[in-house]
Amino acid sequence: MTIEFIWQLPTSGDGRYGDAGQTRRGERTASSRPPFTEGVSDPRGDRFNFLDHLHQIARAADLAGFDGIQIQNDLEGDESWIVAGYLARSSRRLKLLTEFEASRGSAVYAAKNAVSFQRFTGGRFAWQISQGGDAALRRRHGDYAADSERLPRIGEFVEVARGVLTQSPFSFKGQFFEVLDGGFNGPLANHPVPLIYLSGNTPEALRLSARSADVHILDAAPAEELKASVATLQGLAAVQGRRIAFGLRIDVLARETEDEAVHDAQRFLAQSGRAVGSTDPVVGPNLWAGFATAQTGAAASLVGSYGQVAERLTKYADIGISSFVLAAIPHFEEAYRIGEQVLPVVRSRIATQLSKAA
Amino acid sequence: MTIDIFWRIPTHGEPSSHRSRKPWRGDWFPGNDNLTKPGLSGGEDGTSYIDYLAEIARAAEISGFQGGLIPSFPSTDEPWVISAFLARETKTFRFMIPFQPGFLNPVVAARKTASLQRATGGRALYNIITGGGGPQQLWWGDSVAHDDRYARTTEFLDVVRGVWNGGPFSYQGKFYQVEDAGLPDPLSAEEFPEIYFSGSSDAALASASKHADYYLSWLEPFDALRDKFNRVKERTDVLGRKIQCAVRVDIVARPTEEEAWEEIRRGFDNIDPAALARFQGTGERSESVGAARQRDFRPTTINSYKDLIIEPNVWSGFSLLRGGQTQGIVGSYEQVAERLDDLVRLGADAFILASTPHLEEAYRVGEEVLPLVRGRPSGSAVLRAVG
Ligand SMILES: Cc1cc2nc3c(=O)[nH]c(=O)nc-3n(C[C@H](O)[C@H](O)[C@H](O)COP(=O)(O)O)c2cc1C
Repeated sequence: MTIEFIWQLPTSGDGRYGDAGQTRRGERTASSRPPFTEGVSDPRGDRFNFLDHLHQIARAADLAGFDGIQIQNDLEGDESWIVAGYLARSSRRLKLLTEFEASRGSAVYAAKNAVSFQRFTGGRFAWQISQGGDAALRRRHGDYAADSERLPRIGEFVEVARGVLTQSPFSFKGQFFEVLDGGFNGPLANHPVPLIYLSGNTPEALRLSARSADVHILDAAPAEELKASVATLQGLAAVQGRRIAFGLRIDVLARETEDEAVHDAQRFLAQSGRAVGSTDPVVGPNLWAGFATAQTGAAASLVGSYGQVAERLTKYADIGISSFVLAAIPHFEEAYRIGEQVLPVVRSRIATQLSKAA
Repeated sequence: MTIDIFWRIPTHGEPSSHRSRKPWRGDWFPGNDNLTKPGLSGGEDGTSYIDYLAEIARAAEISGFQGGLIPSFPSTDEPWVISAFLARETKTFRFMIPFQPGFLNPVVAARKTASLQRATGGRALYNIITGGGGPQQLWWGDSVAHDDRYARTTEFLDVVRGVWNGGPFSYQGKFYQVEDAGLPDPLSAEEFPEIYFSGSSDAALASASKHADYYLSWLEPFDALRDKFNRVKERTDVLGRKIQCAVRVDIVARPTEEEAWEEIRRGFDNIDPAALARFQGTGERSESVGAARQRDFRPTTINSYKDLIIEPNVWSGFSLLRGGQTQGIVGSYEQVAERLDDLVRLGADAFILASTPHLEEAYRVGEEVLPLVRGRPSGSAVLRAVG
């Protein structure tokens, strides 16, 4: 089983501190105050915006040894497919795990756009299809589907996209999508279907993943708890004659020593106005729940020394997790830190275990 | 207003001249599989077709074109993807993106567009197309009928405009609904993209007159084009709006007229007879009024390339040399520039030019033809052509 490490790209802004005063590095809006005093000249003008910084985060992930980036579908931020294309030619190896909702439009059109992505990147485009927010939020985004229709729509979206990408002619008529004698020919034919990453904890979501996902992403929780979900879902997939891979969406706060990490974690909580109260945020070994920022969106964060964090990640690999979708703020600096200090340790531990097992 | 001149990006490959279909750039042409030069192959050497397209975009911007139209058809690469990929690698090139509104949720489209504006410094623009119907429409997964598709196009643009500056915007249409929608800051600070709009039917004109900045047509015989432009302008006048007109023209420009026609003659002599027979037939089934007009303007008996010359310097067989539109301009550099100025006089405010191969010809046309076009100096009156 190959392990992949995917770094999150914060498409709506990033924070340095726990107050997560979201900033968009490089961005200068009409209303924002000039960053320098009147006494100091500023050569930047309005020639940069946050996309330039996103570009640097992606380059950081590439140079620091990540295998991919997860381009968030943050409705307050830049659109994920544009960001994916914008970054594609600046990274040589990164998988472009692009998050979106099945409400974005025609599945055939999405597949057609995916063909160009695959042609231009040598097959690095991957899809994370999410269910979207609550009904009111979805209506703000032109999506009037009922809650109960979201998963079936993702199912159809995947079926149609896979269909036209792998067969010609392909026809389908469903509740949400249709196509007659579709499919790609000539140089557009036979490109890899973007790997499909799905998530969700309900029985319906698990059944959908069993049928349609290449990778099911689990929310962060202690490894022991996730073991059961992995077994259940792999069982459901086996019924379909499939095997799926598992991902983990988790934040990481890693420092040279555990003390430093805990200190920074406490300060982070204080800054965000969520000072440690009556409930202990620590829910497992080095695992803090409710600690990640609203923007990173993880259920929990590992907090510990480089060695501890590496150890915990290795444990997750032991229970069957092979895709790690990681984040830490600020995403740029932390990409280098995690890439340099943690990933090599995890990789070598897993390699050692594999060679022992062999 | 001065005249804007665009180039075109060949999104399904191209031969290296008008004369023959070989060698072929891009991986579309069978028998070309062992080429491994950058951009010419399928990418086994580590390059892919986007590398070649990047060169064309840079050649076009350095040669003085505004940008380029990036066509979207079932056999092509996709313009949204190409535009995002080339955003950081170009400076002034404006990406003209054809797409059918029915294929995207308008709120997603607005966010996509604003992000592309941010990625390019405001260089995105739309070519709103509404689809030729027939089997191709169902291939795309769209079963809405011709006139309804234009109604959908109108609604789509209503919503994209509505949410653009941040909203809150609510809309209850037949095809689209939104509630309290609006682009987030800072996306909401971007300029709305210019809209080029094509489609020749009545339903198309109705939709164009409400939303388009430019009404876009293929080249047609000059009198027909003048009438078409006047019709569009009358319809928009009624709504109290102003609309500009744009023409998509293939050209072959050479130092002398003889050389230009020689290029066409050689190309014509290499045409597959079966393709010529198809060309003289009724063409493939579609509901496109624009495509039918193109067919109506060409002669039915064709023995030589000369039979396809329908007025001075206008040749009606370009689609035989490479897929696409039928009419184009052939002549010396001066003649091509003069014909373009004729089109300006009958109402054109912008051009999308193209010639094969798009890379080298971008330089030729930029250096030899564009400097000869008088266009319309800023401030001079636009005379409404009569009759
Ligand atoms: C200059 C020009 C460019 C066009 N580009 C495209 C294109 O890239 N993709 C496409 O599917 N249709 C394209 N079209 C087709 C039309 O927009 C339209 O869908 C078709 O003409 C049918 O509409 P009608 O029946 O109103 O003429 C183009 C048309 C023109 C005039």
